[in-house]
Amino acid sequence: MIAYKFLGAGGVGPFSGFAWPLPRGRSAGPWVEATPSLCSSGIHACLVSDLPYWLNSELWEVELDDPVRSTRKLVAGRGRLLRRVEAWNRDAMCAFAASCAERTAALADGSDALAGYSADTAVFAARGQASAAAFVSARAAETASGPAGYDAERERQARWLADRLGLCT
Amino acid sequence: MKLADDLTCADLVELVTEYHEGALSPPDRQRFEEHVVFCEGCASFLDQMRSTLTVLGRITEEDFAPETMDELLRAFQEWRRE
Amino acid sequence: MAELVAGGSVTFGDDLAVVAALRARDERAFVELVRTHGPTMLRVAMLYVRSRAVAEEVVQETWLGVLSSIDRFEGRSTLKTWLFRILTNVAKTRAEREGRSIPFSALGAADLEHDEPSVDADRFLPEGERWANHWASSPRRFDALPEHRLLSAEAMGVIQEEIDRLPEAQRAVATMRDVAGFGSDEVCEALGISEVNQRVLLHRARTKVRRALESYLEEDE
Repeated sequence: MIAYKFLGAGGVGPFSGFAWPLPRGRSAGPWVEATPSLCSSGIHACLVSDLPYWLNSELWEVELDDPVRSTRKLVAGRGRLLRRVEAWNRDAMCAFAASCAERTAALADGSDALAGYSADTAVFAARGQASAAAFVSARAAETASGPAGYDAERERQARWLADRLGLCT
Repeated sequence: MKLADDLTCADLVELVTEYHEGALSPPDRQRFEEHVVFCEGCASFLDQMRSTLTVLGRITEEDFAPETMDELLRAFQEWRRE
Repeated sequence: MAELVAGGSVTFGDDLAVVAALRARDERAFVELVRTHGPTMLRVAMLYVRSRAVAEEVVQETWLGVLSSIDRFEGRSTLKTWLFRILTNVAKTRAEREGRSIPFSALGAADLEHDEPSVDADRFLPEGERWANHWASSPRRFDALPEHRLLSAEAMGVIQEEIDRLPEAQRAVATMRDVAGFGSDEVCEALGISEVNQRVLLHRARTKVRRALESYLEEDE
C-alpha cells in the first residue's frame, strides 16, 4: 500500500533516529523490516488525513507491506521509501503555517478568548514552524467549537497539504 | 489530539523514561510522540536526555593503576602455569 | 522507537574469539578484556561495598574467578553479562561477609516515596497562562554546543559527581544501566527489584544527571 512518511533532515526517523536507506534514481529504496530495536510496533506511516499530526522536514512517499490502521497512523511489518515529495519544502512549510495563522486570525476576529492563539500562530508562521502553527490553530478551533472544531481544522490542514503537494487521497 | 487528552510539557518530562523503556501504553505513546512533533521545547528536552545517556555511556576511568594491572598479570601467569 | 543503549564497550573480535584466546592462555586477550571492563567493574563493585580498596579486591577476585571458570563459559549469555554476573556474586558475598547486606529493594522503597519533579516547576508556565505547564522557554540541545565541551573530562567529572550524589538505589540502577550498559532484566535480577521500581529509580537518576549537565554547560554562557 502507498502511504506517506515524514522524516527528519537527511531521511532520519524523528523518533527512532534510524537513517532510512534512500531510493536511488528511479528505483524504490530497499525494504526495511521492523525490528524491536527500530520500533517494537512496526514501521509507521500516514494516510493523507494523518499528515498534519506528523509534520517534519522531509515528506516521503512510501510503500508498506500489509499495513494495519492504528490511531492516526498505519503500522506495517516492513516498508520502503519510494520517492521524496519535493513539493514539501521550506516554502510549502511557511505557506502551510501562514494558512493556519490566517484561519486562526479569522476565527479570533472579535474574540478575546482566541486572540492569544491568533498571536501564537502568527509568531509560528513568521518562523515557519509548521507543526506548532498547526497544533495551535487546531486548539483554537477546539476552543471555539469543541472537539468537532478541532477535527474540522485538522481536516482542513490535511486538504491543504493534499492540494498543495498533489497527493493522492 | 484533543484538549481532554492533552499532554502538557510538565507531564511529558515525567514520562520520558517510560517512553524510552517502551513502557508507555500505545495511547500514551501516541500522545507523547504527537506532542513532541509540535513542541520544540520537548523535542529539545528529549534530545538533552539522549545526549545525557551518550555521556553516561562514555564514563570510564582512563587511569588504570599499573600495580593493579601487574597484579592481574601475575595472577594470569600463575593460572597459565597450572 | 529505538532503544537508548548506553555504556557500550568495545572489545576486539567477538565473544567467541576472546573466549578462545583466553582458553589458549593468550595474555594479550586477557589484558584487552581487563582494560575494557575493569573500570566499569570497579564502579559496579563499589555499589555493593563502600571502600574502594575492598571493591578492588572484589574485582581482582572476579578476574580469578573468570580465569578459573573460562572453560565452563557456554556462550548462553554474552561474555560481558557472564563477567558481571560473577562480579555481582563476588560483591554480594563480600558485602554480606562485612555485615553489609544490600536490601536494594528496601532502599528503593524508601527512595520511591521521595517525590520531586523531574524538572524544576519554574521551567514551565504557571497555571492561568494560556499555555500553562508548557515550557516557558525551550531548553537548549547539548549537541548545539561544541562537542568538546559535552565530552570533555570536565563534563564527565560533573556527571560522575552527580552520580556519586545520587541516593544509593538510584546510583546503582543508573550505574548498571547507563554506565555499564546492562539490560533492564539483568539489573532487576542483580538488585532484586521489580521492573517498575527499576524504571522509577532510573528516571530519577537520569533527570538529575541531565539537570547537572545542563547547569554545567550553561555556566559559561
